[in-house]
Amino acid sequence: MIEFTDVGLRYGQGPEILKDLNFHIEPGSFHFLTGPSGSGKTSLLKLLLLSLKPTRGRVKMFGKDVTDLNQDSLLQMRRHIGIVFQEFRLLDHLTTFENVALPLRVLGQPESAYRDNVVELLEWVGLGERMGAHPALLSGGEKQRAAIARAVIGRPDILLADEPTGNVDPELSLRLVTLFAELNRLGTTIILATHELPLLDSFSFPRILLRDGELVFHA
Amino acid sequence: MPDARIRSSGTRTAPIVPERSVAGRTLVLLIAIMTFLSAVTLGGVVLVQKSAIAWSSDVGREVTIQIRPMPGEVMDSNLRTAVALAEATPGVATARALSLQESQDLLKPWLGDGLDLSSIQIPRLVVVQLGDPTDADIPKLVRDLQSVKGATLDTHAAWREQLNAMSGTIVFSGLLVLALIVVATVLAIVFATRGTMASNREIVDVLHFIGASNSFIAGEFQGRFLLIGFRGGIVGGLAAIIFFFLIGITTGNMLSGGASAQIGVLFGRFALGFDGILGLAAVIPVIAAVTAITSRLTVRRFLSQTS
Repeated sequence: MIEFTDVGLRYGQGPEILKDLNFHIEPGSFHFLTGPSGSGKTSLLKLLLLSLKPTRGRVKMFGKDVTDLNQDSLLQMRRHIGIVFQEFRLLDHLTTFENVALPLRVLGQPESAYRDNVVELLEWVGLGERMGAHPALLSGGEKQRAAIARAVIGRPDILLADEPTGNVDPELSLRLVTLFAELNRLGTTIILATHELPLLDSFSFPRILLRDGELVFHA
Repeated sequence: MPDARIRSSGTRTAPIVPERSVAGRTLVLLIAIMTFLSAVTLGGVVLVQKSAIAWSSDVGREVTIQIRPMPGEVMDSNLRTAVALAEATPGVATARALSLQESQDLLKPWLGDGLDLSSIQIPRLVVVQLGDPTDADIPKLVRDLQSVKGATLDTHAAWREQLNAMSGTIVFSGLLVLALIVVATVLAIVFATRGTMASNREIVDVLHFIGASNSFIAGEFQGRFLLIGFRGGIVGGLAAIIFFFLIGITTGNMLSGGASAQIGVLFGRFALGFDGILGLAAVIPVIAAVTAITSRLTVRRFLSQTS
């Protein structure tokens, strides 16, 4: 599903942020992406989200070399990828329901077509009673569950998460990763970036370890 | 599912781009001012053009035969001959010799009231009204008048050329000003759109991440700017129509009857007419369209640079 071959990335004329990355990710797998701050986790996630192209090497996703794709093809491919951020990035003026429904709304679907699915998903993530609330009134855990629901409402094949537990307490972190594990059990490929060791030790998923932009461990 | 129930009962889904995030009031005011200036300029151009056409048309329908007093010539006889020749010319509707009193009256503005003109011979005029200026055989009339000593024909061509040149210059200047106003409006909208996009960068990024196309995002912003353009356009357009209405009333009331009539002759009456008002009203959708198109192009450019 995802194949990196000799991938390097640099911003402008700066030093290489990612160097000689070679790895392969199978569909339906769950990987932790870990490493110290500044190791290149977020840059790697940006490559996986197709918001950046590698400066060298080859990235293949869904069997296609992304470096050869035009904007339209990248957009179509991006719709198969969900993303969850540490800082949630919900739109403050929209309700929880509207935030979660946003990926379907931008595809031009009428509300009548997606309403039941959104309500069902919000109930599944435990926000059934909060769907009319705006983000400002949600707790950190509720915001992150809403962000996860928004990322998966379009049934993506790959779900990326950039430090999704960074703004919640350890107990809620475990519950959120359990939620990701449940999504993975339903068939979604998950890559979850975190540097929280206790969290990593609580689950037996394989890890991609980065240090100074280099892949030092993948198992 | 309380919200789902509320929605099914008709609650409107919130817009993706919040209304408050677009520089609304300032831009509405700016577009209103630009629309007002555009409409006033356009109205002025229309007034000048209308007056010039009417004036030129009036002057073009009339030619004047002037007969200077010549030794040994009988003026009354020459006048009758000139009238007869004029009436025999194709395209001429009527020909009338001005009486001696009418001719003397024409000199009063220059010579004053107290002068006795009966002791001097003054040139006399024959006013010739043309039925159709394009069909009138003026060269024939010129040739025929050679038989009348001291007769010359004034077609007012020099006046008309001068008038056309003057009105053309005013119309061209007005259109140039109009073009500059449109350019200034476009630039203002570009800056406002850029500011709006920068302040809504978070929304744009989120929409990109969840798979929204650039055309979808541009459409969300364009809808806002189209609405702003219409609001500003309506305010400015209505203000311009009221302005011309008030100017028309003011010039009618403040000036004396004679002064008002003279201004009417020189500049036309400050009345745009139905077609003029329609022209001003057309400025509103044009400004709204300019706003929408400009903002869309600016948003698309912004998105292509950021995505």
